[in-house]
Amino acid sequence: MSDNKVGAVLIVGSGISGMQAALDLAESGIKVYLLDNKPSIGGKMVQLDKTFPTNDCAMCTIAPRLVDIGKHPNIKLITYAELEEVKGDVGNFDVKIKVLPRYVDIEKCVGCGVCEKVCPRRTDSEFEMGLGKKGMAHIPFPQAVPMVPVIDKREERPCKAACKDACPIRMNVPGYISLIKEGKFKEAYELIRRTNPLPAVCGRVCYAPCEDACNRGQLDEPLASRALKRFVTEQIDINSLEVPQISKNGEKAAIIGSGPAGLAAAHDLALLGYEVTIFEALPEPGGMLRYGIPEYRLSKDMLRKEIGYIEKLGVKIKANVKIGDGIKLEELRKDYQAIFIATGAHESLKLNFPGGDSPGVIHAIEFLRKVNMRERVDVGGKVAVIGGGNTAIDASRVAKRLGADVKIIYRRSRAEMPATAEEVKAAEEEGIEIMFLANPTGIITENGRVSKIECIRMELGESDGSGRLRPIPIKGSEFIIDVDTVITAIGQASNLEFIKEVGLEVSRRNTIAIDKATLATNIEGIFAGGDVVTGPAVVIDAIAAGKKAARSIDEYLKGKPFTSKEDMRVPQKLSEEKVNTLKERFPSRNRVKAKEQEPLVRTSGFEEVEKVYSVYEAQMEAGRCMASQIEGCIGCGECEERCEANAIDFNQQEKIIELKVGSIILSPGFELFDPSVKPDLGFGHYPNVVSSLQFERLLSPSGPTAGKIFRPSDQKEPERIAFIQCVGSRDYERDYCSAVCCMYATKEAIIAREHIGEGLQCDIFYMDIRAFGKGFEEYYQRAKTHGVNYIRCRIPSIKEISETKNLIIEYLGKDDKKFSREYDLVVLSAGLTPPKQAKELAGKFGLTLNRYGFCETETFNPVNSPKEGIFVAGAFTGPKDIPESVIQGSAAASKALSLLSTERGKLVKKKEYPPEKDIKDQEPRIGVFICHCGKNIGGVINVPEVVEYAKTLPNVVRAQDSLYVCSADFGENIKKMIKEHNLNRVVVASCTPRTHEPLFQSTIREAGLNPYLFEMANIRDQCTWVHMNQPGEALKKAKDLVRVAVAKSRLLEPLYPRFVEIVHKALVIGGGLAGMTASLELAEQGFDTYLLEKNDTLGGNLRRTKFLLNGENPQEKLKALIEKVRKHPKVHIYTDAQFLNIEGSVGNFKTQFKSKEDTHEIKHGIVIVATGAQEYKPTEYLYGQNPKVITQMELEEVLTNGGFDAKTIVMIQCVGSRNETRPYCSRICCSHAVKNALKIKEKNPDANVYILYRDMRTYGFNEAYYTKAREKDIRFIMYEDNKNPEVRQVKGQLKISLHDPILNAGININSDLLVLSSATVPGDGNKDLARKLKVPLTADGFFLEAHMKLRPVDFATDGIFLAGLCHYPKHLEEVIAQAQAAAARAGGILSKEYLTGEGIISCVNESLCRGCGLCKETCVFGAIELIERAPGILISNVKEGLCKGCGACTVICPTGAMRLRHYTDDQVLVMVESALKSVAAEI
Amino acid sequence: MGKITGIQVEPTLLPEVRKYGNFNLNACYNCGTCTVTCPLTSNGATFSSRKSIHATQIGAKKHLLGSLDPWLCYYCGDCSTLCPRQTEPGEAMMTLRRYLTAQYDWTGLSAKFYKSVAWEIGALFAVAALVLILALVFHGPVITERVTLNTFAPVHLVHTFDLILLTVLSLFLISNASRMFWFTMVRDGNVKIPLYLFITEIKTLLFHAVTQLQLSKCNNKLRWIVHWFLTSGYVLTFIMVVFFLKWFQVDNVNHYYIYLPRLIGYYGTTVIVIGTVEILIKRLRKREQMYKFSELSDWIFPVLLLLTTLSGIAIHVFMLLELPLVTYYIYVIHLMIAVPMLVIEVPFSKWAHLAYRPLAIYFQMIKEKALQLQERKAVSLSSAGKLSPEVMKINVR
Repeated sequence: MSDNKVGAVLIVGSGISGMQAALDLAESGIKVYLLDNKPSIGGKMVQLDKTFPTNDCAMCTIAPRLVDIGKHPNIKLITYAELEEVKGDVGNFDVKIKVLPRYVDIEKCVGCGVCEKVCPRRTDSEFEMGLGKKGMAHIPFPQAVPMVPVIDKREERPCKAACKDACPIRMNVPGYISLIKEGKFKEAYELIRRTNPLPAVCGRVCYAPCEDACNRGQLDEPLASRALKRFVTEQIDINSLEVPQISKNGEKAAIIGSGPAGLAAAHDLALLGYEVTIFEALPEPGGMLRYGIPEYRLSKDMLRKEIGYIEKLGVKIKANVKIGDGIKLEELRKDYQAIFIATGAHESLKLNFPGGDSPGVIHAIEFLRKVNMRERVDVGGKVAVIGGGNTAIDASRVAKRLGADVKIIYRRSRAEMPATAEEVKAAEEEGIEIMFLANPTGIITENGRVSKIECIRMELGESDGSGRLRPIPIKGSEFIIDVDTVITAIGQASNLEFIKEVGLEVSRRNTIAIDKATLATNIEGIFAGGDVVTGPAVVIDAIAAGKKAARSIDEYLKGKPFTSKEDMRVPQKLSEEKVNTLKERFPSRNRVKAKEQEPLVRTSGFEEVEKVYSVYEAQMEAGRCMASQIEGCIGCGECEERCEANAIDFNQQEKIIELKVGSIILSPGFELFDPSVKPDLGFGHYPNVVSSLQFERLLSPSGPTAGKIFRPSDQKEPERIAFIQCVGSRDYERDYCSAVCCMYATKEAIIAREHIGEGLQCDIFYMDIRAFGKGFEEYYQRAKTHGVNYIRCRIPSIKEISETKNLIIEYLGKDDKKFSREYDLVVLSAGLTPPKQAKELAGKFGLTLNRYGFCETETFNPVNSPKEGIFVAGAFTGPKDIPESVIQGSAAASKALSLLSTERGKLVKKKEYPPEKDIKDQEPRIGVFICHCGKNIGGVINVPEVVEYAKTLPNVVRAQDSLYVCSADFGENIKKMIKEHNLNRVVVASCTPRTHEPLFQSTIREAGLNPYLFEMANIRDQCTWVHMNQPGEALKKAKDLVRVAVAKSRLLEPLYPRFVEIVHKALVIGGGLAGMTASLELAEQGFDTYLLEKNDTLGGNLRRTKFLLNGENPQEKLKALIEKVRKHPKVHIYTDAQFLNIEGSVGNFKTQFKSKEDTHEIKHGIVIVATGAQEYKPTEYLYGQNPKVITQMELEEVLTNGGFDAKTIVMIQCVGSRNETRPYCSRICCSHAVKNALKIKEKNPDANVYILYRDMRTYGFNEAYYTKAREKDIRFIMYEDNKNPEVRQVKGQLKISLHDPILNAGININSDLLVLSSATVPGDGNKDLARKLKVPLTADGFFLEAHMKLRPVDFATDGIFLAGLCHYPKHLEEVIAQAQAAAARAGGILSKEYLTGEGIISCVNESLCRGCGLCKETCVFGAIELIERAPGILISNVKEGLCKGCGACTVICPTGAMRLRHYTDDQVLVMVESALKSVAAEI
Repeated sequence: MGKITGIQVEPTLLPEVRKYGNFNLNACYNCGTCTVTCPLTSNGATFSSRKSIHATQIGAKKHLLGSLDPWLCYYCGDCSTLCPRQTEPGEAMMTLRRYLTAQYDWTGLSAKFYKSVAWEIGALFAVAALVLILALVFHGPVITERVTLNTFAPVHLVHTFDLILLTVLSLFLISNASRMFWFTMVRDGNVKIPLYLFITEIKTLLFHAVTQLQLSKCNNKLRWIVHWFLTSGYVLTFIMVVFFLKWFQVDNVNHYYIYLPRLIGYYGTTVIVIGTVEILIKRLRKREQMYKFSELSDWIFPVLLLLTTLSGIAIHVFMLLELPLVTYYIYVIHLMIAVPMLVIEVPFSKWAHLAYRPLAIYFQMIKEKALQLQERKAVSLSSAGKLSPEVMKINVR
């Protein structure tokens, strides 16, 4: 062993066994690293619905444990990580761990789940076993610890998503394209709408910078993202969209101008709850969209619909209202809290040469507006359009449609033309001539009207600074063209008359001057954007401005700091190298062209030129997107965009952590058998055949169907369900029993019938029902009497009726007759197989795997691996259920503890706090801190308003808000505030005390306040989350909650938990295997242990066990153990001991006992009960009357003493078990019978052994011995319940008769020896001991643990533990593990210096107490005693170490003498009173 | 609960049965997969391989002898494929058929042949030697100018020998079959069977003997077709040899091409050769479940049948080639193969399934019908209030 031991342990696998080990070690002062390759801890139990045999909710049972582990200061979670390398030796291992990237920063994430909600991609959820869907960013389950999502990124996105970066509104192009590819058009539309309020407009007229930037363009051609967007908008009727319920926040905003900028701002503001009014000067809303863009490019009908939807959101549009003419801007400011100016640029620039304003010269904007307003415009036969922008092209194409012959005159060459190339191309197709390098110089009029236009040829000179070449006229190249109309399209400007009155600043370019980041003007409350700010630009820029304005206005009105986000990122190109590699993966595919109208057809009218994609074309085209072709997350960045906490980090990389630990515990759990390995069962082919874990999810109220049992094929509730047992267990490849399936199938059947009702038929097809655990047999019998139907037949195959998807099962009924039944749903009880990492772990640690791949361990060292310092626990060592796994977890912890006992506490940091301030007699000075929790609270309610409200409450001296109150820097702020304002109470209004109370308590403690001076208002989980759609009401409720919390906080008192000194000694009662093991473990951990044995020798029942199933001789091991116990200086053995009396409580017990003749009194901190059990002395089957009738234990004696010559031996199982007197199963007798039968065969191969059984319960790996017994020709005959065999004695010969249900006939056997597998019964002394220790017994007389599943070795009373057969019959290795576990649990207490009691405990007002004792009876923790204050005067006394603060005593107390601190009557009543006051009354 | 009267277990049964087929029958844990899987077990029917196997395991010999189930199995092997224990229930049923054949045989010879290679081979050679001696003693003049088989082996003599053999073997077979009847129908009888059922159900016997329709219910339909042709060829040839030898064994083979006995002979030999070769190839390959295990008895019958047929064909060919001496020798060899085959196989070994299978179906049908009658009667009686329900239950069982 290394000299420098490290007081830390690495636990691999965080299922129940790993978690248990972690808690036990951490409690004992060992630093724990809990590693799991899953994103959350919890293992498989979190997926279960209920647990047997108590039908407790699995999640409710395990979730508090997850939280405990998550916040334990000594446990460090390393999730989503793998073990990479281990070096070193026991006591000092060097471990390398690879942490996989989650792409989410654990430190920043608040677990709000927005990322998943917005993710456009869905895939099967592993947690829901493929029955539910999850986003690519996904928190495994709602109670996950850590509550941080993982982004399911399976491969690197091939492109750089330049499309998104190029878009001014950062439209999620890869997102909607990927959805189109999957045929999810509605989802695609919703995704587009989330960013763009005018998708139909942009699907038609956007100049699509995304397409220019598209990285696919570097391979072949860019994606036609605009056409795809248009396609989606044609698939979804906007009028069919559900209009979200928005509740108004009461604030008003005015928007001037109803163009794209105005509409976008109105839309976003309306969604935020603002009352928005748009003022439009023209008769119809839409601005340039309505009056500038010709009908053939944008159908006005579509536009009207989109504006209509915005109106549905509550936006009012006042048309024909020109601000400045009627209403003045100044007046608007009075009525509206904010104004957004988006009036656009509707004024045309004029030609600056002679005749520029002659009749027949019309400006393009005016021309287009007139045409769009359906006014008659006579352009004559020949039209010249001057200019080269999109407006020029629009005007010329419109003129063409009016029947004119159109020429465009442009002074530069084609390359410089600002109009988009495709527009130019379309114009030329339609027969429009473009005269490049020509410039008009004058207009010639005839009869007062334009008749000719004079032009001059140009040539290009040097650059003009705008990047274009300056055109220079060529002298003498003048020429003249005949025209009827000249349309000028040489530039636009805004009319800024109306703003002058209020003094808005105007830029040099005659636009409104604004702060670029926020769009705020120089006047508070007025914002401006769109063309009026930028000069004429494109639709998408205007929308971007509108959206930005909405955000700024919201922030301005809510008083939040401006969150100026960077608008655009520079779209990135792929490197040439990358392009080449991508070309291999993505073979060249040209873009699918949207069909267009023929030029001749289109110039004859105003129909839309571009046609819509067909569904096939759209999906073909979408399929070209490289991102949409990859698995998992496509990196569209929607989550990143929406995450308020900025926690998404796509640049995360794998990380290697290096650790030093003293010991390692391996608890990687198990894998569920994959039933598709057995094709005859149809799993994966027949939708209504599900695995047991899938069925658990269907049962679970938090599952994919919210607890409704639906069959997957048609979502109908089933009427008949079949459960098929032993799927993947008990066959020739896996000759072991999975040990849990019989019980979980029983549980699932019971729960299913609870959900659906008594009418549900549940048939369980089984071979042997293996209900061998504590309470299992009773559970099974109860299931039978309650109508679950058990049919003994193994089912090899299932057939489906293809029409109904019902399933046919053929089975054998009575007398082996074959029947078939139809079921709606079939559940396959899949077995347990080794974990996936088993081989890898075995390689790393030199473990031996058995032939099925589970970890092999020795009987006497159930959690040891062959390598020192490495321990194993849980289902990794073989299939087992929850309590067994928990026990092994504790046992492994105990082994590690003994190893590292000297290092306890060395790596655990103790927090130093400043001295506490005395606040006695101080007037309450309350600080209230209110959290936005990103958008979780702040997005629903107006937090600053709550702050203002809090300030009005009495005694509140400081109120503040923060985006995240739990952030480290705000914690510092709280401390600063406490100091500065001398606060003596702190209230935080935020998420939930469940996760965050300890953090804030610690924060105020750091500032010198008693932690109980803290109060929390739950305004997220219980307010904004549940009333998300009623922000108004939520705001009121938040105020109420804050008021109530403040009211209580005034009455808070500092509390001081009692510290109880601990006697670092242990008492173990019972010197059998369990008692000795526990004593030795405790002694190895360094604690003095008293071991009491009632007999004169140690060893208990094990003394009678002569050989084991695997052939081992336990007597040698027993001898060695006794020797070790005797020699250990810390174990003090008392034989012939009689337990007399015990008093005290955890940490300080005092016990009197008698050993031989002396009476002793000892002090000790804990008690372990290990009193064992005994073999039942049968009264049935002639036992005691005929010497040839013996028990299994007696047979074992016979078999060890010399030869064995009986020829025919009959064994009868369940003698004294599973009957009315003892309804439980004795668990070990089946294996015991097999063991002895095999021994008989070994001694005398010719012997005939008959075993008469009801169910062979050779669970786990003992199944292989059952197989072996069969192979050795041991005969097994089943007998049915209530048809016990009969034994007669005829002339000294034993004759056994029974009914064989398979042959349906009577069977007679003449036997030389009859062996009874008699029950294991609890010890006689249990009752007395239970009474003295004040711990409960089961109805069968075994000791009852605190919790059947998660606390299998604890009693409900602190400081008392149990182990071994006194708990329930069990096998040797199970006894040892349980004893080790008890030692670990006890060690957790003994290793502390003192016990910290609860602060929140009950106390007694002695003047009111009349000693009735009701509280004592009520207290389940035994924390109340009656003491005699004066002779004959009894009063209650709370044992502070034991009180858990449940409050039951305060409820039962008839006089009000019992008081629960921190929840006193005064404190609770003041809360009630405060809650009942209305907000208005308080104000 | 009342006293249980029942079957006395005989622990020796399992080791005894194992001598008829060597594999681990006891590994079976009676899960029922075999019976559920069996395509021959129809809804509500009682045919159960599980019962037979369980009876063998625990030593319920009386139950096993009384069971017809092994004969109702046609060994498609589906049960063995799906058996979770690899206990080979199909082969178990095959083994039980061997065991039952031996049990039905009162001489004890069958058991000797099954259990001992020496006995089986020895007996075959002994009979062959006997045939040789008979041929040496009784053959007619050997004419070498042309082939006159009927001179060498006068048809009336051979025919007489045929008939004697037929009678003797039939006696053995019938006596064995009656023991089968005794075990399964009388001793096991918990059902009272009206005599007329035996007459009316003869149609079942004939129908199944001719069609072998049960075999067609197995999933592999081809096997039924091949087996049916094989049997038909065998039976037709057998009938020709035993009853119509005069027309079958003729010297002037060249004269009549369209000659019914000759065509029957061609048909018979062709299907037998194809059928037996197919079986032998499959047994050698061991690909299909039902051919994975082959005991000596599984080899001998098809091998001898093939050799008999091939030697028969050879006689015909040499006659056509007009090679007198070779024809005569081959003829003797033919008899030396055919006769031992019949003597050993018919009453004592695999051949017997030709008789036992249709009989089993026949008996089973009678039993079922009788049971139905009895149930109907019980119902009418109980409804008339004459019998208490308990009595009714006993009667039904």
